[in-house]
Amino acid sequence: MDKHEHEVESAELSIWFFCGILMLAYGIVLVFTGLTEFHHPPQNEILLPWLESLHPTLWWGVVLTLFGGFYTIRFRPGRI
Amino acid sequence: MNALALILTSQLTHLAPADILILVLYFALVIFIGFYAKGKANTSEDFFLAGREMTAWIAGLSFVSANLGSLELMGWAGAAYQYGILAAHWYWIGAIPAMLFLGIVMMPFYYISKTHSVPGYLQLRFGEGARGLAAVSFAAMTILMSGVNMYAMALVMKTVLGWNISFSIWVGAATVALYVMLGGLRSAIINEVLQFVLIWAGAAMIPILGLIEAGGWTKLKAQIAVNVGTTDYGHMWSTLGSFKDNPMGVHWTGIVFGLGFVISFGYWTTDFLVVQRVLSANNLRAAKMAPVIGAAFKMAVPFIVIVPGLLALAVLKNPDGSIMHLVPESVAAATGQHSYNEVLPLMLIRYCGPGLLGLGITALVAGFMSGMAGNVSAFSTVWTYDLYGAFINKKADDKHYVAMGRWSTVIGMLVSIATAYLVMNAASIMDYVQALFSFFIAPLFGTVILGMLWKRATHWGGFLGLLAGTVSSIAMFIWVQSNAGALRYIAMSPDAKPMAENLYRALWSWIICVVVTVVVSLVTKPVPEEQLSGLVYGVTPIPHDGSATIWQKPIFWAIVVIVVFFILNLMFW
Repeated sequence: MDKHEHEVESAELSIWFFCGILMLAYGIVLVFTGLTEFHHPPQNEILLPWLESLHPTLWWGVVLTLFGGFYTIRFRPGRI
Repeated sequence: MNALALILTSQLTHLAPADILILVLYFALVIFIGFYAKGKANTSEDFFLAGREMTAWIAGLSFVSANLGSLELMGWAGAAYQYGILAAHWYWIGAIPAMLFLGIVMMPFYYISKTHSVPGYLQLRFGEGARGLAAVSFAAMTILMSGVNMYAMALVMKTVLGWNISFSIWVGAATVALYVMLGGLRSAIINEVLQFVLIWAGAAMIPILGLIEAGGWTKLKAQIAVNVGTTDYGHMWSTLGSFKDNPMGVHWTGIVFGLGFVISFGYWTTDFLVVQRVLSANNLRAAKMAPVIGAAFKMAVPFIVIVPGLLALAVLKNPDGSIMHLVPESVAAATGQHSYNEVLPLMLIRYCGPGLLGLGITALVAGFMSGMAGNVSAFSTVWTYDLYGAFINKKADDKHYVAMGRWSTVIGMLVSIATAYLVMNAASIMDYVQALFSFFIAPLFGTVILGMLWKRATHWGGFLGLLAGTVSSIAMFIWVQSNAGALRYIAMSPDAKPMAENLYRALWSWIICVVVTVVVSLVTKPVPEEQLSGLVYGVTPIPHDGSATIWQKPIFWAIVVIVVFFILNLMFW
């Protein structure tokens, strides 16, 4: 395999794409979980009432979705 | 660091379907990465050094991530609970100066000598004796450390989730063996970068929510002072004037010279497990930048490790509302209380419901698996190049060495599993294995640094210095183990505590290594200068790293990092 061919092949899937896709998937799972917790707060939030109003699962899910979405699109296969 | 001998009779929590989905997604991606990377691991350069085509960012994150295993995360969170903010020294003075020194001063020699490993550099500089000694000790230690990681993961999963220990050991080992065997260092590096992102995603909620609960940093420090009855837990330097003025029983000389100089420089500049990541960089500038980038991220790690330990001192309470007191492992095993090392899981469970909990647990699993993978990939490189290829079969073709790399990964993993079961039956072995690792690091740093900076150092000087340093370190350890009173001589104070012993033992063994190397070198025949080109300062033309602007210069960013480092130390003085 020549050098050029090697570089093209290694550029197929970026490490950052792997990070992005995993964080995007986790973000989506957390957003859905966070939404269901509006009516059924988890045990730890019942014990710490101040935590319930912050909805950490939902908001952290939003952060990860945005982060993961950006990296997934920015480093998607074929773009680099 | 204390062993993670978490022994409890019942599990702390259980996983919801969302948590299990998060864990399954991680395992699926890791195995996919292994198969994906396999197609790119055809030559030995591909398999053992990831084709030397990693960018500075990837090599830098992988470099810092290789050291960010869950054993360290949980252990240092526990140390922060036990000793306060002093534990942050292991992340700042115990890492940053050494990482920058590696990038700016040492990396050019490792990189332009085109060595495949640190023992490989020793062979070029000091001959086969020094290489053999370093390779044997390194190979044995990495494989034992992999086993310790494996057992620690299984124990944490049992404690937190009630999982069967053998199930965790075999699933973890099989997954790691599969992806390292298939993709070699490339696979390990991809997973380390992934793990770095995962650890932040999984652990960042603890300090964020904890600081909200505590009412901010100032109120947190005030609450800790009330709970423990002293303000010592919030200071990094002002209590280090005397051994008995701080919770760790250590003096500033031990922190600065033992930790900040010998242990830190020894680990970050000569431990092949971390150096291998930087050797995968795609050019000299990337190789110099990678440790600088790693250092910048390393400075932030106390936020997710030290802050949770400090928060636990302020906010953890028993069900009846009284302050929860965590205890040492030995006491926890007898009384059923929680131990120091359970700080991170306890804080995770406190703040994280379904989903977030799964993310935190996945981050811990990723940290353990990455720890195993780092050790096993470094082991297979040193075994194949510095033991098998150097002493057993010198003339095999490239394909044969790649096959040997794959087989040694599998065999290394099986030995690790055996170690994990050995540790399961005698938990104290875990402490000894970690101590063993420190025996070799400090003297090795003495040998490598003299080799790089002093052209008069000879083959015999290097070999005998390394041997003398290692033997003296082991002798000091045995002395203190068999006679506790010896600690006052090793650490120079009757008030010193065990943590101080490691620092001073490292310092003495380094000094012995350097003195023996210098004396023996001066009475033996010098190595001709033409043989030292590319290996030693003063006789090696350092090629330009290709930086065109100040923003591209590694030295500029190293200065930025060291300035931030000083500011942080002053802020928490």
